[in-house]
Amino acid sequence: MRRTTRALALLLALAAATNGWGQGATPSLSLLSREGRRALPITVINNQDYIAVDELAGPFGTASREAAGGLTLTARGRTLILTADQNLVSAAGRLVSLPAPVVRRDNRWYVPLDFLPRALGPALDLRLDLRRPARLLVMGDLRVPRIVTRIDSGSTNVSVTFEITPVTPAKVSAEAGRLVVQFDADALDLLIPPLPQQPFVSSIAPGEGNTVVIATGPRYGAYRSSSSQPDASSSRLTIDLMPSTSDLAGAVPPAPPLPVDIRPSVTPTPSTGLRTVVIDPGHGGDELGAQGPRGTLEKDITLAVSRRLRTMIESRLGLRVFLTRDDDRTVPHDDRSAFANNHQADVFLSIHANAAVRPFIKGAEVYYLSVERADAEARKRADDAAIVLPALGGGTRTIDLILWETAQARFLEQSSQLAGLVEAGLRAKVEMSPRAVQQAPFRVLVGANMPAALVEIGYLSNPDQEQQLTSAAYQDRIAESLLDALVKFRALLDRGAP
Amino acid sequence: MTIRRVLMGVAAVVAAAVFGWLVMTGLGRLLRAPAAPPEEPVAEVPAVAPPEGTATEGPKIKATLFFASEDGQRLVGVQQDVPLAEGTVAQARALIEALLSVPAPSAYSSTVPPGTTLRGLYVSDRFEVFVDLDATVRTRHPGGSMQELLTVYSVVNTLLVNLPTMTEVQILIDGREADSLAGHVDLRRPLRKNEGLIQ
Repeated sequence: MRRTTRALALLLALAAATNGWGQGATPSLSLLSREGRRALPITVINNQDYIAVDELAGPFGTASREAAGGLTLTARGRTLILTADQNLVSAAGRLVSLPAPVVRRDNRWYVPLDFLPRALGPALDLRLDLRRPARLLVMGDLRVPRIVTRIDSGSTNVSVTFEITPVTPAKVSAEAGRLVVQFDADALDLLIPPLPQQPFVSSIAPGEGNTVVIATGPRYGAYRSSSSQPDASSSRLTIDLMPSTSDLAGAVPPAPPLPVDIRPSVTPTPSTGLRTVVIDPGHGGDELGAQGPRGTLEKDITLAVSRRLRTMIESRLGLRVFLTRDDDRTVPHDDRSAFANNHQADVFLSIHANAAVRPFIKGAEVYYLSVERADAEARKRADDAAIVLPALGGGTRTIDLILWETAQARFLEQSSQLAGLVEAGLRAKVEMSPRAVQQAPFRVLVGANMPAALVEIGYLSNPDQEQQLTSAAYQDRIAESLLDALVKFRALLDRGAP
Repeated sequence: MTIRRVLMGVAAVVAAAVFGWLVMTGLGRLLRAPAAPPEEPVAEVPAVAPPEGTATEGPKIKATLFFASEDGQRLVGVQQDVPLAEGTVAQARALIEALLSVPAPSAYSSTVPPGTTLRGLYVSDRFEVFVDLDATVRTRHPGGSMQELLTVYSVVNTLLVNLPTMTEVQILIDGREADSLAGHVDLRRPLRKNEGLIQ
């Protein structure tokens, strides 16, 4: 009975997904070029961002002609050929694969946003850089750094961190009632999260030119800024806002010398296999999780690390990142995996902190789902289960019907590779437990319909680790290790892609 | 003549039916006998504390109870005297009660929170053991994946190592099916023995 209900719920979810045509307010894609900024309307089809082909005539000078079920686009003497419902397009003689098919609706043709950087740009010898989270398309050699903002509020100060990719010089200056951060760039690709309640910063917003303006709050007295360069491709500017008792104020000190970087390049390149990451901060709300001897709660640490990881992935990899919770709330296990499934995540990472009866036990661990008897049966069922449904606009299409509680069974091999890469990433930066990679029947992983792992970032029951886990430096180290693992996992998926 | 034939026919049919019934029930018993213990395989025994003194008297068996290793990363099997009980269900109950009450040997530590009690124990006809623990096992649990794995699998392994005819163990909390114990391990389905955690 329960399974039938779940299967029905899944079907309803699928039906809802296929009805996603044109819902909500009309979003737009900002096109940035030497000539300035212009907005191109976006149409959402099947949860994917599309753009109408006729909108491209203005900015790119394309002319289109419809013939025999296809559309021929010409500009600058080059030709692109599009076919309705096909993922493949021909761009100046080269075949280019798109993540979603070309759509013809109401006498208009629509292409997924990836068409612009993958097909149109190369065909017209134009440099087009798509920044998906900000819905921004950068044309030509404009310097538009991606800036992801993070706000950490403590009881006596607030620190605002800008993760900047690529490395871009920035200058902070104090004016009446505000701090102005000037970036050396042509435009900014800026992401600012909602501001938590605190008395130091009243708002953060883009200012005139290439500036970000931090309006100061009633308790603000002084600031201190520092910049660093965590790797070759990005820089970090941190501004601490403190109460007036502190007399520390100053300019940006010079960046420390570059460490020898032996890490793989993390320049944002389009990936076919890894586009969306869902991070699951363990526990939350009434579920405190483990507790350290000084009272540190697991649910707070997991949220802090997840937020740092999100900032890093967004700024350095340019992937879509969602958190299963972004505040202190109780989230049932099924809702966590359902959230990842509904967001069509390509990777699910659940973040936890560990506890043991003996205080000397420490180190990080990685888990992926273990195969119980029922899972082995489920895997077979999952592989066999495919049903044919009538599709919108006639015809049929085959979909995989996956039982909620057995979804992970078919991803065990990839999850094991993911766990291995996470372990290697962590080992390079933090202390590992003697049993670094393990399999276990973990509840939150069961329903995840994508490669998934659970990361125990350290033992809260160990007094030293409790201190580490609360420090920004250790949390950043963890986030960087997981970022490294995702970069390698992305390479693995891209290699394996057809 | 015809009446006699009809009567003979009826008698033959009745005889065949009786023979068939005997064969079926007899076969059923024969088939159940080697797999199931001689007593009723589906049973329910209320968890009542044994009277004082019975634990120290009477016959014992050498059983393996599971505790957390010195480094807290593994389960260690420790030989203990446990009262011999009549039948699988009673023996399973005796094993869990020993696991909950026997202090851990000096180097090791107990995996089950102190004060946890056994509310009941059932065995299904598919040889799955259902262990019903009171809510203390959840409320006094220190949390953490590793500790939760040790708690769950010390119960599962203690039962399945000592009672090899049993296949799987499901932990219930306060008489109900539980989602998990401390937020990690899936308790909605019966679990098999975990060899990987054993030192």
